[in-house]
Amino acid sequence: MEELKKALFALVAGAVTVWTFLVPDAPMFNAPEFARMFFWHFPCPIMLTGLIAAGAWSSYRALAGGSAREVWDLRAVAAFELGLIYLVLTMGTGMLFSKYQWGAFWSWDPRQTSFLIAMLMYGAYFAVRSAFADPEKRAANAAAYMLATLLPQLFLIYVYPRLPSVMSLHPSSTIMGGQLHGGYLYVMLANMAVVGVLTVWLYRLRVRAGLLLLEPYGNLEDRRRPAGPRVVRRSVPLPHEGGADR
Amino acid sequence: MRVESLGKRYGRRWLFRDVTFDLEKGQRLAILGDNGSGKSTFLRLLAGLLTPTEGRVVPPEGDPRARLGYAALEMALYAPLTVDEHLALAADLRGCESRADELLDMVGLDHARSLPAAQLSTGMKARLKLAMAVQTRPTVLLLDEPGAALDEKGRALVARIAEEQTQRGTLVVATNDPIERELATHEIVLE
Amino acid sequence: MNPQGRWSREVVAVLRKELRTEWRTKTGLMTGGLYGVCLVLTVVFALINRNVNYFYKATGDHPLQDVCASLIWSIVLFASLLSLPRAFLAEEENGTADLLRLMARPHAVFWGKTLFNLFQTWIGGLLLGGLFVAAVGLDVRHPWLFVLCLLAGGAAVAGAVTLCGAIVAQAANRTALAGAIAIPLLWPLLQWGVAGLQSAIGTGLLRDGISAATGMVCYAVVGLVVGPYLYAAVWKS
Repeated sequence: MEELKKALFALVAGAVTVWTFLVPDAPMFNAPEFARMFFWHFPCPIMLTGLIAAGAWSSYRALAGGSAREVWDLRAVAAFELGLIYLVLTMGTGMLFSKYQWGAFWSWDPRQTSFLIAMLMYGAYFAVRSAFADPEKRAANAAAYMLATLLPQLFLIYVYPRLPSVMSLHPSSTIMGGQLHGGYLYVMLANMAVVGVLTVWLYRLRVRAGLLLLEPYGNLEDRRRPAGPRVVRRSVPLPHEGGADR
Repeated sequence: MRVESLGKRYGRRWLFRDVTFDLEKGQRLAILGDNGSGKSTFLRLLAGLLTPTEGRVVPPEGDPRARLGYAALEMALYAPLTVDEHLALAADLRGCESRADELLDMVGLDHARSLPAAQLSTGMKARLKLAMAVQTRPTVLLLDEPGAALDEKGRALVARIAEEQTQRGTLVVATNDPIERELATHEIVLE
Repeated sequence: MNPQGRWSREVVAVLRKELRTEWRTKTGLMTGGLYGVCLVLTVVFALINRNVNYFYKATGDHPLQDVCASLIWSIVLFASLLSLPRAFLAEEENGTADLLRLMARPHAVFWGKTLFNLFQTWIGGLLLGGLFVAAVGLDVRHPWLFVLCLLAGGAAVAGAVTLCGAIVAQAANRTALAGAIAIPLLWPLLQWGVAGLQSAIGTGLLRDGISAATGMVCYAVVGLVVGPYLYAAVWKS
């Protein structure tokens, strides 16, 4: 059944990919045939949004402590690892788009720059993780740092490029402003669904793999089974008890 | 103080697991074990300085900063601050009176009040830590190798403090010293 | 004593300890202060033999006017990154963190140290900013905005860098890491800071400077409100 699902997904993804090449070129772009990059560029920050939300929630739960801290930390790191990949893909596809549409790979556009800073925050998050050998400290401190960067991240990615005083070349109302219609809209939605399914699948796979790696440290359902050194407790009467002199 | 299913792991290595006991007023517990068996870690868990991997420590009722006293050899002091300033800082942070005159007289540091911690000997630092530990008249006193840096008078001081503590609450000592071991009514051996 | 009184007593105790330690050891002065002064002098060396004052008065154009806002913030930021994280790193390095954990509550410790860092940043920022302006012979058109930007930016830097120092205090390579992880957090602040100082110097619009200063104040408030709670979560070993 699993194999059938995977085969079906591969078929649908392939069909959507072919479909992206079948829609007509977009005449208003400088390189009309390259407008297709939008189908791969747009879903990336959308998935990133979901992963930021999942990662932030998992970080909060990891910070709250408790016996499931390592599991929540695993979920957080899975979300941020995938988030970093999507961030890099957003930047990469965006830079290609920028080259053909605006004439340069990098224009110090506010939206490009804000994503670069967000990427640095992710890099710093993984640097914090690598600095702690103890898994509990790693989970707590990494979660604290990610929550500290959450508001700046959200501001940089969603608020700053849309400020009236900020002049950005990047369009901001392609979907909501109804600028996408006809074949392009349907292809974009189909691709979004494919990328969404892929994201959820990769996330769950990463979490499952991480849970398997947690096994040697003490089975999560069997933590009560003693596996450490013996502890002996015995009463030792004081020498002078019962009236005896020292 | 109550300890329920306490366990601590560092990486893959469990120091101890499933430790449960109650400490009643008047009891004195010695924690024994070889070097590296986890005595200091155990004591730090009781003091609330570490988070347990499993289980929990139920401290005595009230503000743990006032109810728990802790002194350890490896605990450092603030080098630029004087003896008096250490006691004043502790009192301000814990919301109690400093009792500097009484405590420094008890531990024999009256003559060194204005010396910065950097100029104190190891034994003098140990005495200052004892003074800070008993400043709030704690219900539970935790001492890690209290006599390690002390001379004979210092060890007698520890015995006196242990006796006073028994009237007030409980004492927990992590030690390898046979004399300090004799202060205890109960033992826990980490093997 | 009521809870508010106790809390303020604890915060003041931590602040007093930090001030005493700094007064006796001069660590912050030796690291951040000296570094900042050296940076200012380095900039000044570029202007030697250029008769800046003469040409500035004649033409109204200072050779550094387009970049001086960035230079001032670079100097203030890197001086802060050297000295501020020490508030928490030094506790772990000197082994005194346990003493503090035994006696104090995390919110009081965070506020006490952040207040100390705040004073350090304000004094350092105003002194270094003033020294820079005096050394290069720059006219500041709106001195009140200049001071406001340095104070607001300094507060935001103090909050963010103190929190980063607290987070990595128990890490392996804490000294290098504290500054490194603070920089991404501070870039939005730097953008505002540069815009604010440009307006204060007169190379930007006043209204842009005021909105930049407002942004920095908000950033500082958020950082100072959220910081204690995050610190409390990583407080114990």
